[in-house]
Amino acid sequence: MRKRVYALAAALIAALAVLVGMSAGAGGTPGVTSNLISIGGTFPLSGPASSYGTIPQAEAAYFSWFNAQRVGGKRGAFGRQIAFQYLDDGYNPAQTVQLTRQLVESAHVFAIFNSLGTEPNQAVRAYLNQAKVPQALVATGASEWGVLAKQYPWTIGYQPTYVSEANAYGQFIAKKVPQAKIGVLYQNDSYGKDYIAGLKLGLGAKQSQIVDMEGYEVTAADVGSQIAKLKASGANTLCIFATPKFSIQSFAIAAKLGWNPIIFNNSVSATTTLMTIATKSSSAQTTNGTITATYLKDPTDPKWDNDPGMKLYKKIMAAYYPKGNPNDQFNVYGMSAAWTMIKALQGAGPNPTRASLMKALRSLNYRDNPFLLPGIKVQTGARDAFPVQQQQLTRWTDGKFVNFGPLITG
Amino acid sequence: MRGTAIRAVAIAGAVALVVVLGFTMTDYHQYQFGIVAYYAVAILGLNILTGYTGQISLGNGAFMAIGGYTTAILCGHHHIGALWTIPVAGLVAGFFGLLFGIPALRLTGPYLALATFAIAVAVPSLAKRFDHFTGGSSGIILPIKTGHYLYWVSWICVAIGYVVAWLVLRGRTGRAFRAVRDSEVAAVSSGVNLASYKTIAFGISAAYAGVAGALLAIGAGYTNPDTFPVTLSLYLLIGAVVAGLGSLWGVIFGALFIEYLPIYAQKTYFGFAFSKQAPSVVYGVVLILIMLLIPSGVAGLARRLYLKS
Amino acid sequence: MQQFLQQVVSGLASGGIYASLALALVLIYRSTEVINFAQGEMATFTTYVAWQIIHWGVPYWAAFFLTLGVAFVFGVAIERVVIRPFEHGPVLTVVIVTIGLLVILNGLNGWIWTAEIKAFPSAFPTRPINVAGVAFSLQDIGIILVSLLAVLCLWAFFRFTKVGLAMRAAAVNPDSARLTGVRVGWMLALGWGLASMLGALSGLMVAPIVFLDPNMMQVVLIYAFAAAVLGGLQSPVGAVVGGLILGVMLNLLGTYVHAITPELRLPVALAVLLGVLLVKPSGLFGRAVVRKV
Repeated sequence: MRKRVYALAAALIAALAVLVGMSAGAGGTPGVTSNLISIGGTFPLSGPASSYGTIPQAEAAYFSWFNAQRVGGKRGAFGRQIAFQYLDDGYNPAQTVQLTRQLVESAHVFAIFNSLGTEPNQAVRAYLNQAKVPQALVATGASEWGVLAKQYPWTIGYQPTYVSEANAYGQFIAKKVPQAKIGVLYQNDSYGKDYIAGLKLGLGAKQSQIVDMEGYEVTAADVGSQIAKLKASGANTLCIFATPKFSIQSFAIAAKLGWNPIIFNNSVSATTTLMTIATKSSSAQTTNGTITATYLKDPTDPKWDNDPGMKLYKKIMAAYYPKGNPNDQFNVYGMSAAWTMIKALQGAGPNPTRASLMKALRSLNYRDNPFLLPGIKVQTGARDAFPVQQQQLTRWTDGKFVNFGPLITG
Repeated sequence: MRGTAIRAVAIAGAVALVVVLGFTMTDYHQYQFGIVAYYAVAILGLNILTGYTGQISLGNGAFMAIGGYTTAILCGHHHIGALWTIPVAGLVAGFFGLLFGIPALRLTGPYLALATFAIAVAVPSLAKRFDHFTGGSSGIILPIKTGHYLYWVSWICVAIGYVVAWLVLRGRTGRAFRAVRDSEVAAVSSGVNLASYKTIAFGISAAYAGVAGALLAIGAGYTNPDTFPVTLSLYLLIGAVVAGLGSLWGVIFGALFIEYLPIYAQKTYFGFAFSKQAPSVVYGVVLILIMLLIPSGVAGLARRLYLKS
Repeated sequence: MQQFLQQVVSGLASGGIYASLALALVLIYRSTEVINFAQGEMATFTTYVAWQIIHWGVPYWAAFFLTLGVAFVFGVAIERVVIRPFEHGPVLTVVIVTIGLLVILNGLNGWIWTAEIKAFPSAFPTRPINVAGVAFSLQDIGIILVSLLAVLCLWAFFRFTKVGLAMRAAAVNPDSARLTGVRVGWMLALGWGLASMLGALSGLMVAPIVFLDPNMMQVVLIYAFAAAVLGGLQSPVGAVVGGLILGVMLNLLGTYVHAITPELRLPVALAVLLGVLLVKPSGLFGRAVVRKV
């Protein structure tokens, strides 16, 4: 009898001890010490969106390299090295909220960097703005991040938006493909719909040339019937606003059906790796001539073999992220974002505060991001909350991308 | 007599612990414990269905989604106070549970598991389809500050959940449930109206899940189809098994398990880090080991140790 | 008309993929009354193994048959090591264990091979052939043929071989079978091995189309469940017929019924699943089971 009471008491006390340990308060400047700045982000490392999981690993590699460099005898930004942690939210916004709170309230990061996904970022936007924590360089092409800049002053996007990308396609089609009958395959969410909005914007009066639009759900097993319907609609130009898996399928199915439209493939799904897979799954005839927009240097393009930026990229990949695939453009993306973040951290001054970081992020003006195409600016200002807005059209030709035309601002 | 006294002390102790921690824990840990609480509510409901009535459900995540979306729609689109939506969410989800319970009568064992699994998979798709109500993939943002009160509200819901469960299970309903679990045939021959009790069990379990879903929506301040994936339903079942099917108080351990496992599995221990994919592997391995070694879960283990002394 | 025929043929092809996996599910269910929730993930795992073998330079067809062999051993191993300790317990326990397996394998696949999408070679050329002005894919036709061949082989195995007979005996009446010297335990393991092979086949056929990633088979599994239930969980013929019907039906509904937008395909399949379970749980080809008190 007594033993039971003691056992119960012991259990309660143990539980209490563990839990009280969690009550220890935290003090000091969030995320900044004399030699360290901590930043963190959430990414889908597992689950359906996990092919983006390579991005934070490339970023971590870049930060590791940066930390090892000595500038003026010191390491890091004003003597502070960067500690970057990334957590898996599986693209589940409820998880994103939890993990972001963990980063802010438990790991005490200085800023949230490059968290990925439109919905995951939407879920934490209000919280981060209320807590006045920078939600920096959000990894999504949704246009609302720049549009809502006044309402959410602590949030800023990074890459060209989906709207601006499709705008470029629309402009091109309106000018150069006058006989176009346009069919659109789109993912039924804000990503797909943003693209449609941009396309219509770029087409302007020629919007009426869109003859059919077919949507699909992320949970779909395949888009076979959608492509068949688009072909049956008589379209001779196909815009694929779909994520990688479905984009590759579209090529395969078009080949099966013997359909050869002019194809515009969205940049998310048109990396060299993915286009190579698409070609293998369909045919060179189907994929040749596919147009997409790009703002990053292509690691598989021999044109950049002697480019200092790409050489650096390959060096960092080999040294700090050997498991990664250097041909995967997502890694170039990651490093370009990490480069921008460091510039912003440096711009925040020798005694950085969250406010000074945001100020730096809103007054970016760089033309020398080594991972972006030459001439592309990383620029923000009082009336411009979109850091990268320029893209160049590029055409898939015999196994690689060939850029053409001028830089287009969407 | 003494057993009751001990139980009373234990309950009082637990309540005191929750209250004390509510005032001393950091914001972040409070938030996490709020999540543990609503998982506990969901697992409690699942336990009533699976542990006491013996019906497998792989779909309670779907009922959480119904509750969560009810709260999100009422709070986000119609600006009704979040707290008021919690009982509504429970009722709405409970209603759908009853609705599902009626046809589910005809199914047993693995067939029921399949059917409930089907629901869990279908609900996110349906949420995306009816985007007029649900905001589709983009979901609904709740205009509330996700703050302290998740902890208090959730634990109060846990307390209410326990009281309701205790009342339901000790009475005739509870005996009927256990009769259904142990032998459907015997239950029928002793006059238990199988149909209505099975349906009631589904309804109750769904109502609990609905409340948990409402709390999830409030806690995250956001709902979209990805916040209620199929894995949620699977993890709830895992939590119920860890807790010990057919036991009420083990539920807290089940909830602690499913909340903290992914967090601890992602950390680095002495320079060795599991891959970020590891949490699933660890979940699965732990689940199978528990089924093998202590199939009656934490509650069963404690019971065995308790009885030995 | 053209579109109709194209949709039917591509529906039959998808149906063939569902049918293979459905057949795997039925095989295990018939012998043990267990629904193996991990069947899809096991198939994904073996498909990754195939990818790895091909990546190391082994030519396609050699890798194909090697993978089937690996899948067989894998299935037997899983049954003997993971499932066997729970054989005599309640069904719920085994269901939970298969869920545990599902979760483990899903994580393992992502861990070992990363989530990067991988291309997978197809057994058949993807170019279209023209039959009376309608473009059919050779790949689709190839898949249909392979599925039918697999079913035929399985049927022959059960009908004409001693081992097949022993397996059938063990499934129908384990106790009597034991008395005649059949090693029931190993028959069960054999069943899992064959099911795993069928799953691997399904994966090998679907990977070139939907590309290899850790979640490849999740949706296929749901369709396979629906197909198996439609055909009757006890009936292998039913699984195949169910799969083909489901594939064609989903394609045609999606094309001709405008209310059935693409995101409803999965719920429609599930509605079929639920509908059958409620109206005639034994499916098209099954016989109603009368429980003895």
